[in-house]
Amino acid sequence: MNRLSERAQVLFREQVKARYVKADRMFAVLMIAQWIFAIVLAVFVSPYAWSGKVREFHPHLYAAVFLGGGIALFPVLLAVFRPGTMLTRQVVVASQMLWSALFIHLTGGRIETHFHVFGSLAFVAFYLEWPLLLTATLVVAGDHLARGLLYPESVYGIANPEWWRFLEHAGWVVFENIVLAWSCVRGMKEMKAMAVRQAEMEELKESEEAKTAALRMVLSELQPSVA
Amino acid sequence: MTHSHRGILVTAGLLWMAAVGVGFTFLLDYSVQAGAPAVAPSRWPSASRISAPAGHYALVMTVHPHCPCSRASVAELNNLMALLRHDNVKGYVLVVKPAEFSDEWTRTESVKSAERIPGITTLVDVDGVESGRLGAQTSGQVLLYDGAGRLAFAGGLTPDRGHPGDSPGRQRIVSLVKTGTADAKESKVFGCALGATICPPRPPASGKGL
Repeated sequence: MNRLSERAQVLFREQVKARYVKADRMFAVLMIAQWIFAIVLAVFVSPYAWSGKVREFHPHLYAAVFLGGGIALFPVLLAVFRPGTMLTRQVVVASQMLWSALFIHLTGGRIETHFHVFGSLAFVAFYLEWPLLLTATLVVAGDHLARGLLYPESVYGIANPEWWRFLEHAGWVVFENIVLAWSCVRGMKEMKAMAVRQAEMEELKESEEAKTAALRMVLSELQPSVA
Repeated sequence: MTHSHRGILVTAGLLWMAAVGVGFTFLLDYSVQAGAPAVAPSRWPSASRISAPAGHYALVMTVHPHCPCSRASVAELNNLMALLRHDNVKGYVLVVKPAEFSDEWTRTESVKSAERIPGITTLVDVDGVESGRLGAQTSGQVLLYDGAGRLAFAGGLTPDRGHPGDSPGRQRIVSLVKTGTADAKESKVFGCALGATICPPRPPASGKGL
């Protein structure tokens, strides 16, 4: 490995790390925003459960406050105290997909809320690390699989769905993942190319500065003899 | 990172996963917790203030106006009535209201949505008297009586609590009305209790059920 590529590697690693830290911080803010939104949603959509004339706070309100808080807490702490690490990214991504599951519950399974899954996958792609899309997909698939096995009606609406039904759901996620993974790989390549260019610029600058210094030295040696 | 730091992080991660898992399990359990099923009379109750079915299906849904789950039930009723728009079905929504509450108490989005469904007549059911005649105990309960006044179906229209979507209840009602048969004549009903003081559950012997 020559000097240029070593420097390019260093610059590339610094840029990637900076990107991870930035994305971690963005997700930390997003986690808190989603928590506030979940509570507001529960207050407006399902504040109370009723039994005739009697009302009590709806379980969704508790879920928004405590489960939502639980989902957000660990990734926010990691993003603040250990930004840029692999563990933080994995926890952040898993949490983001759990938010989709919680929002789907809180909005009564509205089909529109399922778009949160696809939006979240796009957010995950901010890291430009395609394996994180696998983590996200595993969390979504795990949720579907567990619910499909335990309570199939809650996922598919019918008690005995066809065995291949999950493929229809997974197919759309895989479709988006392919596009996002491609853009992640391209993004990383571009960052690498930028690092190489920056390293080249730095080397050029160093070489020009060395030339200028040498020229000055020659000039300063010549000046007394001219005088 | 030292060994102790790694240990703390792993423990925290495992605790977090366990806590979130327990939270979602509770939430899922709540979502699939069915309400009390109707103890519906096998024949149309003669005391009913809704005219008895005569050659047409009568489809009745009981609704607690403030039950958040009822929004999904009403949305599914809308879908169901669209599917049955060319069939001979008259639909009714009974909005249960305690006598001491004002009429304004029933003017919720669920009730307004129900009023907009073609083929549906909404009726305020003071103290749940009419719902009681039909043995309904849960908001979202649907009862289908055939043209001869025989109970054809009793159940709910949502796949779980407060979640719209395709459901066994909807499939069975459509099948019963379109073909006269279905794989079952009941389904789980998901919703808030209409209130024991409003429609007291009847002992099974008083209603034959299906």
